[in-house]
Amino acid sequence: MAKLSLRGVSKAYGATLALRRGDLEIEAGEVHVLLGANGSGKSTLCKIVAGSVRPDAGEVLIDGKRVTVSGPQAARALGIGIFYQELSLAAHRTVAENICLADLPVRRGGFVDRWALAERAGRYIAMFADVAGEGFGPDALVGNLRADQRQLVEIMKALASEAPVIIFDEPTSALDRAQVERFFEILRTLKSQRRGIIFISHRMDEITAIGDRATVMRDGETVATLDLKETTPAEMIRLMVSERSDLAAETVAPAVVAASGAAPALSVGNISGPGFRNVSFDVAPGEILGLGGLHGQGQSAVLRALFGAAKIRSGHVRIGGREIAAASPRSAIRGGFAYVSGDRGRDGVIQGRPILENATPIHYLKQRLLLARPNALRDKVMPALDSLRTKFATLAHPIGSLSGGNQQKIVIARWLIERPDVLLLDDPTKGIDLAAKTDLFTLIRQLAAEGMGIVLYSSEDAELLGNANRILVFNGGAVSRELTGADRTRYNLYQAAYEAA
Amino acid sequence: MTDTTPSMAAPKPQADRRWIERYPFLPALGILLVLLALNGVFSPNSLSYRSLTGLISTYLALMMLAVAQTYVVYAGDIDLSAGAIVSLVNVVIVVTMERLGGGGGAVLAALGIGVLTGLACGLINGIVVAALRLQAIVATFATSIFFTGFALWVMPVAGTPAPALFWRTYGGKFLGLPFVFYVVIALAILLYVIARTRLALQLLAVGDDAQAAYQSGLPVVPIRIRGYILCGVFSALAAFCVTGDTASGDPLVGGKMTLFSVAAVVLGGTALSGGWGTVAGSLFGALTIGLINSLVFFIGTPSEWQNFVQGLAILIVLMAGILVGRRARA
Repeated sequence: MAKLSLRGVSKAYGATLALRRGDLEIEAGEVHVLLGANGSGKSTLCKIVAGSVRPDAGEVLIDGKRVTVSGPQAARALGIGIFYQELSLAAHRTVAENICLADLPVRRGGFVDRWALAERAGRYIAMFADVAGEGFGPDALVGNLRADQRQLVEIMKALASEAPVIIFDEPTSALDRAQVERFFEILRTLKSQRRGIIFISHRMDEITAIGDRATVMRDGETVATLDLKETTPAEMIRLMVSERSDLAAETVAPAVVAASGAAPALSVGNISGPGFRNVSFDVAPGEILGLGGLHGQGQSAVLRALFGAAKIRSGHVRIGGREIAAASPRSAIRGGFAYVSGDRGRDGVIQGRPILENATPIHYLKQRLLLARPNALRDKVMPALDSLRTKFATLAHPIGSLSGGNQQKIVIARWLIERPDVLLLDDPTKGIDLAAKTDLFTLIRQLAAEGMGIVLYSSEDAELLGNANRILVFNGGAVSRELTGADRTRYNLYQAAYEAA
Repeated sequence: MTDTTPSMAAPKPQADRRWIERYPFLPALGILLVLLALNGVFSPNSLSYRSLTGLISTYLALMMLAVAQTYVVYAGDIDLSAGAIVSLVNVVIVVTMERLGGGGGAVLAALGIGVLTGLACGLINGIVVAALRLQAIVATFATSIFFTGFALWVMPVAGTPAPALFWRTYGGKFLGLPFVFYVVIALAILLYVIARTRLALQLLAVGDDAQAAYQSGLPVVPIRIRGYILCGVFSALAAFCVTGDTASGDPLVGGKMTLFSVAAVVLGGTALSGGWGTVAGSLFGALTIGLINSLVFFIGTPSEWQNFVQGLAILIVLMAGILVGRRARA
């Protein structure tokens, strides 16, 4: 009998189906790997098991008994522990307090039993004592730790649940070799204690090293469950990719790159910063450069740093031969950059303001406008909005009255009044409908044809394969592979993304 | 949340930084000592035993209220009704003491009812903010109006005197020491005890990152409600001090104390965003505000300028505290 099984679990957020049909069976004493591309539903599935997301349909069974996981607290009571990909730590509390936070040892009267707390936390800290690095100890504040040390704390916290089923959602992404080795030794001990472990990683070597079985997910559905001893990595990737798209970037042949003699529109030399290191690339005028790979491997970090929203520690950036040191988005805009983010709420839309105001802030900035007549602005804005086929009632309507796709078109239109030299697109189609996506990419290709340099990061591989002339695959903050010409296949993209960093 | 701190932060913090992390109220204590010294320079008499006793008995209520505010701020919440709870408890206990005849038993019964009143107000705030998920600032502003209205119903006009037994005890001496000193010592012990409870740690964890705390399996809603209850109870204690100091009931007495309590919390080094701070700092913050007021008086500010100077002084002290804290943490 399976330790934990999920049958036909689904979850929708508004109109987007995060999980269409999730099935999963975990046996006692196995490390079960969850495999899948970006947005295939792995994390949603894990959060449903851990109780932090409520499923819309389907059932969860523990030891064959049907249960309702009503929340994280209930999940713990049912014997489920979890390592959250985005971590669940309190930055101002100590390592020891964080490890025991969910179940603080108390004495009579509700007082924290500091001695028991130190003793319990000490057990888990000792497991990693020689690999945790400098400054790590029970009394260190979590906020002062390095990224890998914080990840270790989250691992210890998951282990401290002592649960029969423990989920590890990308626990190794920031760890170094020695730390991963130690973690795997611990996982093997847990296996020998007949515990069930769910493991997510995007490093193929780790998956083959520790996994017993794997469940592959694609587009929110469970595709297959495999025995890892009888499966090759190539087969797993093929399952993630699906049979149909084994061919090259078939949809549209991207525009031809401008003559190689031309000076690059954007030249990035060996830049490093928070979340990325040693990234170099050139973008020719008229070229669409794709950034690919799994989520959060440094693609957004590079784009935001180029736009001046994060620091670049070393390296150089040139636009059309001019050196640019963008200290702020304002100076990046003056230097010729444009940036469109998929996170419209945070980076794009000015909530509650009319469409006209949302379409003109860059115009104001570049022309140093103080006062402007709405009629004059309207004449500037309309061509840009028309070229995107934006649907709206009047320019005076608030931007919130539009659909997500049309909001994004307004945000893009603000960059089209005065043309930038380089357009940075940070997953620009997140959460917008298909028709709007088509309009967007038609425009992007047209802009490229007119000589703009474009850098496109997309979490949807089809968009990259269909639009980018070249694709740089990111892994662990660095470029692991460059795909050009006929190499731009879905298969190669996943293979590069899942390679060891 | 965890990612906002730079990942390349020095693994070994410098010594002063470690001190501030351990005792976040140190800048507040420093400022307090500077203000004491300034008071001494401008009016040596103000450091006398007698004046200090007066200072504490006047500002003990604000100290209590600052402590009350700290517990909700721990969890990233705020309580703008704390002052209104003070008013309500003040009139409730004065009226109760009066009805029951003003004897020792009446006083004790009234105090019991006062604590229960504060507890109930805190419970209402907690349910409104944590369970019904209304915005803390607006929701507690609304309950403050509600509590004030209730206080006006209990006692429509200010002026009912408290029984002599009550305020004589508060302002009096006990074994040669002023009564308020015993209150301060009892408060210190109580705060030390509360700081060691599971609830204090849970409140801080919720304030640090509520989503993370929820995902870790903490019962976030009950924890926040308990924070508000604690706030209500300490607001009731603040009301006892107000009553002892003013010796009468006034349905509007606490209103203007609310924002002073928030200011005291911030002066004490506690983060308004939650997850970081100490109650000791809030005590020092409340005393700082008291010392600023007396300093403004002692340097001979003309009465029409007193508000101006007082506001300016609080701003300067806030800036000083932030500068010290930032330098040590940078």
